[in-house]
Amino acid sequence: MSDDYDAIVIGAGNAGLSSAATLQRGGRRTLLLERHNIPGGAATSFVRGRFEFEVSLHQLGGMGNGPLRQVLDQLDVTRRLKFVEERDLYRTVVPGVLDITLPAEWQGVADAIEDSFPGNRARVESFLELCHEVGNWQLAVRASLHQPQEQAAWLRGLPRVRRNGLRPAKEVLDEYFDDDRIKHVLASYWSYNGQPPSTLPFMDLARILTLYLEYKPYHLHGGSQAMSSAMLDSFLEAGGDVRFNSNVAEIRTRQGTVVGVRLDNGDEYDARMVVSNASAVTTYTRMLDPTVVPDSVLRDLRSRRLGISGTITYLGLDATARELGFTAGTNMITSELAENTVRDSMFSLGPTPYVVASCYDVNPIGFAPPRASHVAIFSVQYGRVWDTLAPEDYARAKYAYAQSQLDLVEVISPGLRDVIEEAEVATPHTLRRYLGHPGGAIYGFDQDITDSWLFRDADLKPNVPGLFLLSAWTTAGGYNPTIVTAARFSQRLLQL
Amino acid sequence: MPAHPLARFFDHVDDVTAEIARREAGGVAHPAAVDDEIAVCHPKQLDLVVDEVITETATTKTFRLRRATGELLPPFQAGQYISLRLQIDGVRTSRAFSVSSSPTERRHYDLTVRRVPGGCVSNHLLDTITPGDRLVSSGPIGTFHHNPLFHGEDLVFLAGGSGVAPAMSMIREVVNRGLPRTLHLVYGSRRADDIIFRAELDQIARGNPEIIVDHVISEPDADWSGPTGFLSAAVVERLAGPLRGRMTYVCGPPAMYAYQLRQLDRMGHPRRRVRLEANGIALPAGEDRDWPAEVDPTAEVTVAVRGRGAFRTPRNRPLLDALEDNGFQPEAPCRSGECSMCRVRVVRGSVFTAAEARLRMSDRDFGFTHSCAAYPVTDVEVDF
Repeated sequence: MSDDYDAIVIGAGNAGLSSAATLQRGGRRTLLLERHNIPGGAATSFVRGRFEFEVSLHQLGGMGNGPLRQVLDQLDVTRRLKFVEERDLYRTVVPGVLDITLPAEWQGVADAIEDSFPGNRARVESFLELCHEVGNWQLAVRASLHQPQEQAAWLRGLPRVRRNGLRPAKEVLDEYFDDDRIKHVLASYWSYNGQPPSTLPFMDLARILTLYLEYKPYHLHGGSQAMSSAMLDSFLEAGGDVRFNSNVAEIRTRQGTVVGVRLDNGDEYDARMVVSNASAVTTYTRMLDPTVVPDSVLRDLRSRRLGISGTITYLGLDATARELGFTAGTNMITSELAENTVRDSMFSLGPTPYVVASCYDVNPIGFAPPRASHVAIFSVQYGRVWDTLAPEDYARAKYAYAQSQLDLVEVISPGLRDVIEEAEVATPHTLRRYLGHPGGAIYGFDQDITDSWLFRDADLKPNVPGLFLLSAWTTAGGYNPTIVTAARFSQRLLQL
Repeated sequence: MPAHPLARFFDHVDDVTAEIARREAGGVAHPAAVDDEIAVCHPKQLDLVVDEVITETATTKTFRLRRATGELLPPFQAGQYISLRLQIDGVRTSRAFSVSSSPTERRHYDLTVRRVPGGCVSNHLLDTITPGDRLVSSGPIGTFHHNPLFHGEDLVFLAGGSGVAPAMSMIREVVNRGLPRTLHLVYGSRRADDIIFRAELDQIARGNPEIIVDHVISEPDADWSGPTGFLSAAVVERLAGPLRGRMTYVCGPPAMYAYQLRQLDRMGHPRRRVRLEANGIALPAGEDRDWPAEVDPTAEVTVAVRGRGAFRTPRNRPLLDALEDNGFQPEAPCRSGECSMCRVRVVRGSVFTAAEARLRMSDRDFGFTHSCAAYPVTDVEVDF
């Protein structure tokens, strides 16, 4: 193996794999370096007893004929995978207040809401129309940002996008609806971004709804690890080199320009282009000689807030999804309608008022044995609340929190506790350990409107010559955004 | 930071840029030393000093280890293990040992080690380690511990030989913390003088009604008046009563597990109420019934490590051990197929992987295996 490469990619997470495969398949000799012994980052799985557990993928958006599908096709990855389409968007439950399942179709959403909350059809249809327009604009514009004139002309003709894009989702929902229950149901995907409706950018809610309604939600047979491994295969088949168990200690520079990397064992590799899939904080403040990082970058980093992490309880259950009462794969359960209760809980170790309970055996992905099922219960949390614990109190706090998650899931799945065969709890500390992200942040920085690509044009720029950052820290978090942005951006790097 | 040119087309754009300016003025640095934060509970390496060596029985010693820096050791959950990293006769290897001391005691970890016929690491420790010696280990790790989400508070522990070590930690924790938890230990040994922790166990059982201890001896002499034989369904039922779904932990020599699972099954005890401590690979490669019949397990094959060299090794030598014999060192805490840290990618050729390896669907599809539970069937090339 030669030590000199055209490009080095640090980290085999979703964006790192997508970038490495794009570069290598585009003819650049690329070295992919990964700390762990497998590819994937968060897109992975683990085994306990008879069960395999999906770590992070809730619903894969952008498949169908959407942007992610196009990228996976280009990278020759699609044929290596088996996709499982879901019928429903989600089931939203507030005990004693509402229990509704939205199908993954625009018209079906309007019908379902009309069934539960009659007399609102016109408002729902008009709201969905707005989501469609704003969502599709966001998805399309990101594909062609290198054509500024055309983009400007297009946006001039979209007054509703310009009027509503930057507003909080709550404000737009308030404008369309009187019934708080409908607003709650339509904002259920807030957790896929991490901001509750009053700070969730409407443009992001519209984008997420469009991804799943237009292109349908999917799961992967073999879980997200199958896709990570398939992207690695595509990279290797094209002649790429990967090194696992390789922790990059330093991005080497000469006269301010990137010349390669050094591992923590002292090994050095040379390349004039380095793509970092590591966190922006780690990349700029730990991996680089401080004198080469512009002040503007450091000032920008300080201005941004570490985003959400989460506490996730993974359950292997000795019963079928039907026996357990899971009729939809994705279940948003909240103890009450008040947003403040949920927001406060993100900074608290107290009982959670909110969970996303994903059952991977309504449409099975192959991880649970016959007649059993696999459920992951996710609550949005900020990492810093877990930092307040003394180390010896951590285990008890984690199980106590998980108990409160189980309490909430038992609203739709009574008796679930009696059939637990395996249970594992991951907290923000766990995510910090596996991702290496400060605060265990899963989507990088807090994704309120200030984090939008519209205001962070420098995130994808080479702020240190030769260095490019591709991850949830520099684009929207989630599978579709990170994989798609990394592939498109790396396509442009091929032209350098 | 400059906004994208499209931003200015939007209503409320000035509100957003003003907010960004406000945050820039009041910003604080983020915690970037993530590795240091992680090391509090999960240090990459523990540097240990042997404080004391306690003779438990004629064949067993407890090594009391404290941190070389004098700091407290990381917290752990009773039942977890640490992996000692050693060099024996020029070969670097590792071995997992359950901590037998209480998790409430963080000034030291006790490792209780029994002599094993042919046991390279155990015997090395018993024969050579004395107070003041330095040892290096991983941090605490493992899934064999009480989980309050579903284990309940009424527990049974079936231990064989030195498999009592994690039970001892669990029992000590119940007593030290005054937990509202019942634990019935049914502990099998060959002879009465092989019983480890006998005096302490009996003393705890006398003073704590929630801890019940029964000793079962398989090769009793004339003086033994207690229960005899193996931990059969009849013996367990007689001593511990009907299991009625009580979570049942099993820890002992690898050969014990198949037998113990059959006994529990005979008692009608559901498998989901059983926890087995990972403890090596039960069957040598050639004796596994899934081993391809036409392949000679003792013949040699060539193992290449991508970009780093190649060596010859017999097929029935676990890949991990063969790699270590030849100077390669995947990280390998459990060596029992479970933890996945010793995972390798098989680039070329085929391997046999024992059932203990907890492979994932995608591992099989994309050529990953756990080297501690894998054996090279053909000439292979691996990468890690």
